[in-house]
Order: sequence, then C-alpha cells, then structure tokens
Amino acid sequence: MSRVDFSDPAVIASLAAALEAAGVDGIEVEQRGRKVRIVVEQEVPGTAWRVKALHTPSRTVQPGKVAAPMAGVFCSDHPASSALSLALPLEVAAGEPLGFIRIGPILLPVKAETPGVLTRRIAEDGALVGYGDILFEFEPRP
Amino acid sequence: MQNGQDSSAEQIHGFDTVLIANRGEIALRILRACKDLGLKTVMVCSQADRQASYGALADTFLCIGPASAGKSYLNRDAILLAGRLTGAGAVHPGYGFLSENAACSAAVEEAGMVFIGPTAESIAIMGDKIAAKSAMIAAGVPCVPGPDSELPDDHAAVETIALDIGYPVIVKAAGGGGGRGMRVVLDAGALHESVAVTREEARQAFGSPALYMEKFLQHPRHIEIQVLCDVHGNAVWLGHRDCSMQRRHQKVIEEAPAPGIAPDVIGPVAEACVRACLQIGYRGVGTFEFLYEDGGFYFIEMNTRLQVEHPVTEMTSGIDIVQAQIKAAQGIPLDVVQAAVTVDGHAFECRINAENPTTFLASAGTITALTLPSGPGIRVDTHVHAGYRVSPYYDSLIGKLIVHAPSRAEAIVAMRTALAGTEIEGISTNLPLLRMLFDDEGFAAGGTDIHYLEKWLKRRSAS
Repeated sequence: MSRVDFSDPAVIASLAAALEAAGVDGIEVEQRGRKVRIVVEQEVPGTAWRVKALHTPSRTVQPGKVAAPMAGVFCSDHPASSALSLALPLEVAAGEPLGFIRIGPILLPVKAETPGVLTRRIAEDGALVGYGDILFEFEPRP
Repeated sequence: MQNGQDSSAEQIHGFDTVLIANRGEIALRILRACKDLGLKTVMVCSQADRQASYGALADTFLCIGPASAGKSYLNRDAILLAGRLTGAGAVHPGYGFLSENAACSAAVEEAGMVFIGPTAESIAIMGDKIAAKSAMIAAGVPCVPGPDSELPDDHAAVETIALDIGYPVIVKAAGGGGGRGMRVVLDAGALHESVAVTREEARQAFGSPALYMEKFLQHPRHIEIQVLCDVHGNAVWLGHRDCSMQRRHQKVIEEAPAPGIAPDVIGPVAEACVRACLQIGYRGVGTFEFLYEDGGFYFIEMNTRLQVEHPVTEMTSGIDIVQAQIKAAQGIPLDVVQAAVTVDGHAFECRINAENPTTFLASAGTITALTLPSGPGIRVDTHVHAGYRVSPYYDSLIGKLIVHAPSRAEAIVAMRTALAGTEIEGISTNLPLLRMLFDDEGFAAGGTDIHYLEKWLKRRSAS
C-alpha cells in the first residue's frame, strides 16, 4: 500500500474535509519525522480548519515573485482578522504569512521563506488562483 | 436493447458545469462536446500545461499542481478540490490518467459530483480480469479458452489446466493489462518456471500474485465493439473497429468497421456485449476488446472509458460519442435504438505521435510550423499549433488524423492525401511511418494481425 503524502496540500484539504464531516476536533499525524497537525478553530465563523504545521513552502518561481503553493481562493488577510491589510511596502520576518489560500475548510498560510519586504500584492482578495499563480512581489533581504 | 428496468426520474443529474480532468487533444474534444451541449467547463492543468492555448477556451482554466502527472492529472484530491472550488457538478476523466480508477469514480460521487463514466463497481469488475471473464461468460460473451478462475498453487492442477486448454498457453496477471504481466508458455517443460516468474512479477507490479491461464492465440486480430448505455436500462452497440496495427501493444492506426467480418458473425457477439452491460448495470460508454482468429471472437478486456479511437466510430455511426456519454451521465435516456444505428462507409484514424519514426524515442520541443489537411471527410483532433511546446512529461500523442469515405479503398486514398498534406516541423513525428503503412500492400488488403507491424518494422530495420 502506498504511503499517504502529507506534504501534499490537497491531501491535507481532503483529510480536513473528512474530519469536518465526522465532527472531529483535530488530528496530528507523524510520518518520517515530520508532523502535521490540523486543529479546529470553531470560534471563527467560516474558518473551521487551519493547517498549523504543513511543510508547503510558498513558491518562488522567479526572482522577486511568490507563487501559490496550490489552487484555492486567495485571502490577503486571515479571515478572522479585523485589521485591514497593512500598507505596502511591508517588512516581514521569515515564516511570517504574506497571505492565505483558502481551500474549502482549510486555510493555508503562504509564508515568507526569508526575511524581506512585501512590495506588491498581485492576486486580488477573493480571487480563484491556481498552483503557481503569482501572488506577491517580494524582495528578500540577505 | 432495453431491459425494461427504468430506474426512475431521480437519476436525472442536472449539472451545468463539467470539470475536465485531462489534457491535450481529448481535453479539447470534451470541451467542445460540453459547449455544444450548453455546459460550462472547468479545465484543470499541470504547471507544464498552464500556457496551453486551449485553456483559454474553457470557462475556468485552473492549474492544480506541478508537471509530474502524479502531482496533477493523477492527483485525485487536487481534482476534487478544484471541483469544489469551482462549483463543478461533474468530472470527465477523458482516457488514461484516472479514467479507469474505481476509487476515483467513488470519490467523485462521494464529493457530490457526477463521474462521467461507470460506477466504481463496474470499473472494479472490469479491472479484475478474472471477475471480468466470469461476467462475460455469464452474459454469453465468447472468451479465450481457459477457466474463469485463479490459477491454483498446486503444480499438478496447473499441469492439468494447461493440458485441458492445449499448448501454447498464456499466463496472465489478474490485475494486469496493456500487455504487462503476461508470459507465453509453448510447452509443458517451461510451465512451472513461467508461472512462478509471472506470479512474482504480478505480486510486484500489481500488488496481487493472482494469475489465470488461457489459450495463446498465435495470429489474432484486435477487434473491438463500442457500446453506449444510459442509467434507465437502455444499451446499444455502435459498430466495431479493427485496431490490429499495434507496436508494443500501442495502437497506431484504427479503422471502422473491421474489414472482412460478416455482420452475422459479429452481430451476436455485439448483442452479448450489450447483454453483459445490462447485467452489470453498466452506464456510459465502453469498449469490449476481442482477439479474432479463424472466425472466432475471444474477449480480452473491457475498457470502461472513452477511447482514443472513438472518432472512427463517430464517423461511421454519425453519433457524437462524447456528447452521448455526457448526456448519459446527466441521466438522460438514450435517444437512439439499436435498429437506428447504422454503419456508413469506412473511417481510419492515424495517431500522430511526437516521436522518432525509426527509434520511437519521444521528441519534445517546440513546433515551429504546422500544416494540417482539410477537405470533405477529413477531421483532425489536436490541441497543438505552430509555437506549441510539446512537453516531455506526458504521452507523445499530439493529434489524430481521421478520414471518412464511402469505402475502405477510398478511405485509404483519402488518408494518403491527408497524410501528404500534413507537415509538422520543429519536432520529430511518426508521420513518415504512417505514410509508409498506408502505402503497404498487406495493410491495404485488410485483415492483418496484431503482429504485422512488429514484423514489418523488423523487416524494415533488416533492410
């Protein structure tokens, strides 16, 4: 039997949907020394699930561009956040979310791989984006 | 044919958006059928295909993963998510990729969408060669001599089965297909070693050591029968095709109807196929593949999907098979009865592959110039154009050239002209091979067997 690939966001999303349907609070899976944890945040309307530790880096397909790691609906901010999108340019630390991809019940953060400056948001809030679509312009800092 | 069991109006599925989970010419073919039916389309693609111009024809064109098929076109979860994101009501798998994956059919329907293909159960039955053979025997479909049961471990019992069938026999993996997981046994001396080696191959390649044994036919032709079924107990067959021109089990040229086979010989076989469909509750389109030797038909497998070569049957029957497949998935009763199905004239299809015509190595790269033939009776199904980049990641099929004429002889002439009018520059293609085959006397005579092309190629390389 083939091993489930938990590095694939689609697998996570599918799993999250199954958990949601089953009414389970969350799950933690450990495989090959890596851990994936999906937890429920039921107090946040419309955002039931959030992937806490998924090794799906944002994709830098060309210098200064950050692409979507999977297909979904682009959200420039966490839907639970009441703050408006911060003005650009914006200094961000490594690992900080630049935005989110919403796929059904899960919200996948698109994180900065390195410290740098977010200079432009290309995708529109609420737009359907595909894998590899350019979301941001980003200037990494050495 | 009808079995009189109308399952009720609740089987009408009113989807208005179809997700096309495939690429290339078949994705474009399905898109056109959807548009003709007034349906919206979502076409998913891999990173390698995101620049494909045909994507612009879809209402939504969505990249779902990297170039690797396993991460995109074979990624069931990514396809289901794309369906969910776009509000698609149905998934058309095309051919290849997930088209004959029972788990995919089930998952699509569990997700609340319609799988434009058979149920998971039908796919699973036909994917298991022993179960398929049992179902065929029950419906009176002629099968290759040999028991419809798994080969036992006991040596003496295996020897008895082989003797009963008569040498040469062929040992096949129950979960195999496409020419893999099989071994010919010419005499008793090689029996046990062949069984042991094939069993181990089957265990490793297909996850199951189950084998079965059949008579090995030495000079068969590959003849297939196209069926179309709805979910109300109606089923018809749309004619037959000859796909004997093969290299390494890959079809190169297909034609309809199969030449030289009398209607009263193939008719009862086709009627048995329709009966089998009704017995297993089959829905949508499917193809029964047979070996044909010395006037006898022997079932080999059923393809539970749309086939690459469906256009030749469309040309001779006048029925749009892809539209019919989609309408069947919508729960619409068949609008054709068997008596109204006709076979008009003769059609050929050439598969144009991006490959070296001598070595058959795949040829990726950019098409720098493209000239396609046109005129009465000529059809080209392709997604490529000048400037299109042929990806190294997928199957080498870049187009299909189809001709239709009143007779086989006229269709051969039409195909020669069409091939002469086809030019593709920038990459290698098998066009030179196709042109030579249509000038070959043996092929022109009709009725060549499945080994003909391999022998022809050997003679060519020897000379």
